[in-house]
Amino acid sequence: MLNKKRTKSKGSNLVTWLMLSPAIFLLVVVSIYPFLWVFQYIMYDYNGFSKYFVGFDNIKRVFSDTLFWQSVIHTFEYAFLKLIFVMPLSLVTAVILSRKLRGSSLFRGIFFLPTIISSAVYCLIFYFIFAAYNGVLNSMLHTVGFIDKPIDWLGAPSTAMMAVVIVAIWGGFGNYMILFSSGLTSISEDVYESSKIDGANGVQTFFKITLPLLGPVLKVVLMLAITTALKDYQSIMVLTGGGPNNRTQVMFSYIYNLCFGNGTSELQIGYGAVLSVVAAIIVGIVTLIYLKISKKLDDIN
Amino acid sequence: MAAEGSRVVKSKSYYISRTVLYTFLVILAVITLFPIIYVVLGSFKENKELVAGGINILPKKFIIDNFVQAWNKANFAQYTLNSMIISTSVMGLMLIISTMAGYVFARRNFFLKEFLYGVMIIFMFINVGSISLRPLFELSVKLGINSSLFPVIIIAAGTGQATYIFLVRGYMSSVPKELDEAATIDGCTFFQIYYKIMLPVLKPVMASIALLSFRGAWNEYILPLVFTMTNEKLRPLTVGVVSLRNAGDGAAAWNVMFAGSTIAIVPILIVYILASKHFMGGLTAGAVKG
Repeated sequence: MLNKKRTKSKGSNLVTWLMLSPAIFLLVVVSIYPFLWVFQYIMYDYNGFSKYFVGFDNIKRVFSDTLFWQSVIHTFEYAFLKLIFVMPLSLVTAVILSRKLRGSSLFRGIFFLPTIISSAVYCLIFYFIFAAYNGVLNSMLHTVGFIDKPIDWLGAPSTAMMAVVIVAIWGGFGNYMILFSSGLTSISEDVYESSKIDGANGVQTFFKITLPLLGPVLKVVLMLAITTALKDYQSIMVLTGGGPNNRTQVMFSYIYNLCFGNGTSELQIGYGAVLSVVAAIIVGIVTLIYLKISKKLDDIN
Repeated sequence: MAAEGSRVVKSKSYYISRTVLYTFLVILAVITLFPIIYVVLGSFKENKELVAGGINILPKKFIIDNFVQAWNKANFAQYTLNSMIISTSVMGLMLIISTMAGYVFARRNFFLKEFLYGVMIIFMFINVGSISLRPLFELSVKLGINSSLFPVIIIAAGTGQATYIFLVRGYMSSVPKELDEAATIDGCTFFQIYYKIMLPVLKPVMASIALLSFRGAWNEYILPLVFTMTNEKLRPLTVGVVSLRNAGDGAAAWNVMFAGSTIAIVPILIVYILASKHFMGGLTAGAVKG
C-alpha cells in the first residue's frame, strides 16, 4: 500500500515537472542566461567580434561619461513630465466615467484604443503629425494664427522633449485610466450615497472619499507607471532616435546605441553591459525609495 | 420656498456640470482618435497631397494605389505574413505554457516551488534592458536559427510568460478543489484533470491571455528590429514600416508609410472592436492579481 502510493507520487512528480518544463526553459533561456551573460563582459571591451580584457576601465568610464549622466537626467525628466500629466488626467477621467454617464463605455473604449497599437507605429504617426513643413499640427496652428513660421517639434532642442512627452501621454493615458477604473468599481455605491446625503459636492467627494479609498490601487498603479516610464525608450527611438543633439537621449536608448549601434560608431558591448547594470540599479533604487515613501505615508494615515 | 429655490439652483448646476464633463470627454476622445483617423484617411491620399501638407483630413482624391504599392513593391505582404506568424505562434505557445504552469503552481506542492515562483517574479522586475537581446542574438547565430522567426517567437514568449502564469494561478485559486477531487475519484490523472476539466474552466482567462499575448507580439518592435537588421525578409510590420522612413527616401515614401501604418493598425483594431471587454478585463485582472 505504502509502496504503491510512493510510486504514484513519483510518477505525478514527473508530470509536474514535465508540465512546468516549457516555462522553465523559457525562464532560463530568455531571462536568466542573458542576465548572467551581461556580468561576463563587464571587464571587457567587446565589439561583437573580438574582446579585450580592460579591467576596471569600463567602470571608471561610467563616472566621467557626461553623456550617460545627461541621459539619466533626461530619463527622469521624461518620466516626471509624463507622470505629472498622465496620472491626474487618467484618474480624473476614470472617476468621471465611473459616474454612469450615458456613453461611458464608448468613451472608455475610445480612450483605451492607443494601448492596443504598437508604440513604434503610433510614434511614426506622430512623426508625421509633428513634421515641420508638411505636418498637420503646424498647419493647424498656422491656420488658427498661433504661429507664423513652422516649428520643428522633434528637431529643435527646445521642443523635442515636450513632443516626446505628449506622445507618451497619448499612448499611456488609456492604460492607467482602465487600471483606475477597475479600482473604482471596488468602492461601494453606499459610500457615495451617504456622502451625497451629507451634502458633499463632486470635488469634495473626490478628495475626501474617492482618493483615500483608492489609495492602495493608486500606489500600485503609480509604481507601475514610474518603472514603465523609466524603462521606456522604444517610442523615443522611433520619434527622435535620442536627438536632436542628445536632447531626448534616455538611459536605455543610450545603451541600445552602444550595444546595437546607431550606424556611426563601433559597438561597445562591454561598456554597455556596465551601463545596463547601472541603469537597472538606478531603476531599482527609485523603486525602493518609492516603496519606502508610500509605506511612510501609510503609517501617518 | 427656500427648498424650491435650492432645487432650481441644483438642477441648473447639474446641467452645467454635465455639459462641462461631456465637453471634457469629447475633446479627449477627439485627441485620442485624431492620429488614427488622420493616418487611416491619409493612406488614401496621393503622395503629393501628403507631402504638401495642409489641414485637410479627408483626401481630395480617394486612391488605393498606396496600398497596392506597399503590398507589392515595399514587401508589406511579407511583413504582414511575418507579423501573423509571430503573433499567432506566441499566442499559441502562451496559451499552452501558461495554463499548464499556472495549473501546476496552483494545485501542486513540489520541491523548490516557491523558489521557482520567486525567481519568475524577480525577473519580471530586474530588467537590464536591450542588452539582454545581444546574447540571445549571438546564441541564435551559433545555433543557426537566426535566419528564421523562431528566436523572435521564443523571446517574445519568454518575456511575457510570467504575467500570464500569474493570471492563470490567480484564476485557479477561485476554482473549487472539489472539482479536482471528484475527477480523481472518477479515475482522472493529474494531466487529464488539466486537459479535460481545467482548460474548459479556464476559458475566460484564456481569452484574455490570447488577446494580450497576440497584441504584445503584434506590437513588438525592438526585439524583431535587432533580429532582422540584416535580414529584411523576416521583418514584421512594425519594423518594416519604421525602417521605410530610415531608408533615406523618407519624404518620397510618405504614402507608402501611411498605407503601411494603416496595415499595421487595422487588424489589431478589428480584434479590439470585436473583443474590447476581454482586452480591458484581462489587463485589469493581470494587474490586480499579478
